Amino acid sequence: MLRLAGVRLLVAVPVLLVVSLVSFGLTLLVPGDMAASLAGSTASASEVAHIRTELGLDRPPLERMAAWYGGLLRGDLGRSVLLNEGVGQAIVERLPVTLSLAGLGLGFACLIGVPTGLLAAAKVRRWPDQAAMGASLVGLSLPDFWLGLLLVWIVGVKLHWLPTGGFVPLTQDPLGWARCMILPAGALAATQVGPIARMTRSAALEVVASDFIRTARAKGLAEPRVFARHVLAAALVPVLTVAGIGFGVTLSGALVIEQVFSLPGVGRLVIGAVLARDWPVIQGGLLLTAFVFVAVNLLVDVLYLWADPRLREQS
Amino acid sequence: MTGPSIRRRSVTTGLLAAALPLPAIAQGTGAGKRGGDVIVAQQAQPPTLDAQTTTAQASRNITLHIYESLYTRDEGANPKAELAEGVDIAADGLTYRFTLRGGVKFHNGKTLTSADVKASMQRYAKIGGSGDVLKPVAAYETPDAKTFVMKLASVFPGMIDAISSPRAPFVIMPEEECGKPLGQPAIIGTGPFSFVEYKPDSHAKLVRFDGYAPNTAYTKRDGFTGRKTAYFDSVTFRFMPEGGARTAGLQTGEIHVLESLDVAAAKRLESDKNIVAHAMMPWAFMTLMMNTNWGLTANVDFRRAVQSALDLEEIMGLATDGLYRMDPAWQYPGTGYYPGIDGLDAYTRQDQARAKTYLQTAGYKGEEMVIVADNSFKPHLDAGTIASQQLRAAGINVKLNVMDWPTVMSTRSKPEGWNLWPLMMGIEPYEGPYNVVGFFGGKQTVQIKQDPVIEQCIADLASKLKLEDRVAAVKAFQARLYDQAIAVKVGDVGIIQATRASVVNYAPYRIPRMWDCWFA
Repeated sequence: MLRLAGVRLLVAVPVLLVVSLVSFGLTLLVPGDMAASLAGSTASASEVAHIRTELGLDRPPLERMAAWYGGLLRGDLGRSVLLNEGVGQAIVERLPVTLSLAGLGLGFACLIGVPTGLLAAAKVRRWPDQAAMGASLVGLSLPDFWLGLLLVWIVGVKLHWLPTGGFVPLTQDPLGWARCMILPAGALAATQVGPIARMTRSAALEVVASDFIRTARAKGLAEPRVFARHVLAAALVPVLTVAGIGFGVTLSGALVIEQVFSLPGVGRLVIGAVLARDWPVIQGGLLLTAFVFVAVNLLVDVLYLWADPRLREQS
Repeated sequence: MTGPSIRRRSVTTGLLAAALPLPAIAQGTGAGKRGGDVIVAQQAQPPTLDAQTTTAQASRNITLHIYESLYTRDEGANPKAELAEGVDIAADGLTYRFTLRGGVKFHNGKTLTSADVKASMQRYAKIGGSGDVLKPVAAYETPDAKTFVMKLASVFPGMIDAISSPRAPFVIMPEEECGKPLGQPAIIGTGPFSFVEYKPDSHAKLVRFDGYAPNTAYTKRDGFTGRKTAYFDSVTFRFMPEGGARTAGLQTGEIHVLESLDVAAAKRLESDKNIVAHAMMPWAFMTLMMNTNWGLTANVDFRRAVQSALDLEEIMGLATDGLYRMDPAWQYPGTGYYPGIDGLDAYTRQDQARAKTYLQTAGYKGEEMVIVADNSFKPHLDAGTIASQQLRAAGINVKLNVMDWPTVMSTRSKPEGWNLWPLMMGIEPYEGPYNVVGFFGGKQTVQIKQDPVIEQCIADLASKLKLEDRVAAVKAFQARLYDQAIAVKVGDVGIIQATRASVVNYAPYRIPRMWDCWFA
């Protein structure tokens, strides 16, 4: 397992290098720079040029590239003038918000999607199956930002059950944190319930005709226990694959949901940086995103080994 | 109104003679109640809280609670003293002697002196957002702790207008912070609220500065100046990019003040007794800038065809959801530099036949006209879209390029590649003529190609000591814009600010002012 992890991390190095090169290339290709954002919407061209010079944004690209990679080798992602802090620090401060949002969203999706998929498999071609699959399709089809706004309107404005936005750190007030996170995580989860439920159903249907399931039933095990203990365990690998992909999707969905619910996460940081052309933050954000995807893929591989003894033996 | 005035020993009295037609404002309704954390929601987060360096509204909303200037603007946008008791301008217009108010403290407890003013002005001249206006200054002097003197190498009658502008405000900082680079100084001012924290993507928090020295020369709140009293214990500015979420927050009471509320939401909330909408007119000019350097719009007849083809009221109606007024002047009515609107009717009335004649004269053969519009500010995109349709209806082959704001800024500053650009000018018309006229002049002028008549207007504005001569310069500028169709003034845009009904004595202004209002 350690060897697998080592190989994956080695493979990540060229991936991150390519991502860094692409992100730096974007700084040269995309028009506009931070000076315009800093100067404000009605600043004159000469005022913007003045700030550009003051910040050194008019330095030659190669010089900027050398400085950035030099910093990267020292573990320094650069400094954001707009945030007035280091990029690494800015990302680390916001990462818990985004990871917890994506994790919570995926958690909700699994908690709903897996039992739904098992229920559909158990009642295949009967109304619970059709209802579950229809509902999951509806969830999959709803844009998460629209669902987010709908939840704000119904749960926040009309029912006053939960706040309409904002964020309370977990360490400061766990209950406040939970109240802030339920709606955005729910909006994110809705899009992932469908794929997880459908994959669980499909994998479970493949397993349910197996000899060991027939044996379990022959032993007199109740049907819910057969599904919970034996069918689910055998169907877990493809479900893990979908969940791994789903984490990536929820991470990207978090970019939008953070905007809707005013959550101070990495997504909002990166979107703000893109709109303001804060290139150190964009480059740092892209590197981090690539690293998180590599890490999640690695985690899924490790979970495969945990879930499937045959893979453990092969490895 | 009481208050210090500008003493000019000769030349003229006053720099802006009349007040803007701002709405009547409830004031002095008795002593307020102290306490509470008022939460203000705004769409954008500030690009920086280094007040001197940015013209961003998102920054100004916050920093003008923290910082103050020698002079600022009153309710009618007239320059009025703030940290200064007054200014004595020499008869030759070359020496400005400011006397500072006594007993003013910075948030760090230090007393304000002329050394702080000098260091702040020197920093502004170096990196300030409108640093060019200090170019005529030859020397800054501090004969004593209460006196600050600016000596000019050449006359600049707009100096008080310029340094009192809140656009990129000429705020006074402690001397020891002034040597720090852009974005680095500690946020320490003399205003009624002091800075606590700024969490990008989340909020900025200020607390009441109990050592604040109100300006006793005034009796009440007055624009950015006056006798300011902070009642709230703290002010939290939350940055909420999603308009629906901001409105929802106001409805639930999680937000107390909204920087702006769109017209449709305001109509929807009319029956909600917990919310009060405060309309302001005017807030900004809606304009369509043209590139006189490149392609089709380099031809004056083609530009005149564009001018004639547009139905300005239709653009305003749709781009502002009805919150507009038709006003062709390039200054607001009622202000000292108002150039009048005589003879403008012919330019502002849609006339498709005349547009076709101009197109023929220009030799137009269906070449592509490029409109660049940003999607960051909805009125810009709407104005660009409607103008595109109207121009197509007149037979012009229009390509509408929609981009984000930085891309548009980058594109429109290039000499080629664009013909028309919708832009709302917010703070500049409020300030007076200098940055409106100045936007069309200099080496990096908005229309790309310098116009000799406009350059002369700018020179006259900067040098003529008599107000009537400067008004004549604004008139000449406006006449030139219309005659040469360099830009189209579409109309005046309004804004709606909103509060919970529990916020008492709030009055709308260029920023959501959190002094002299309180919780019921």
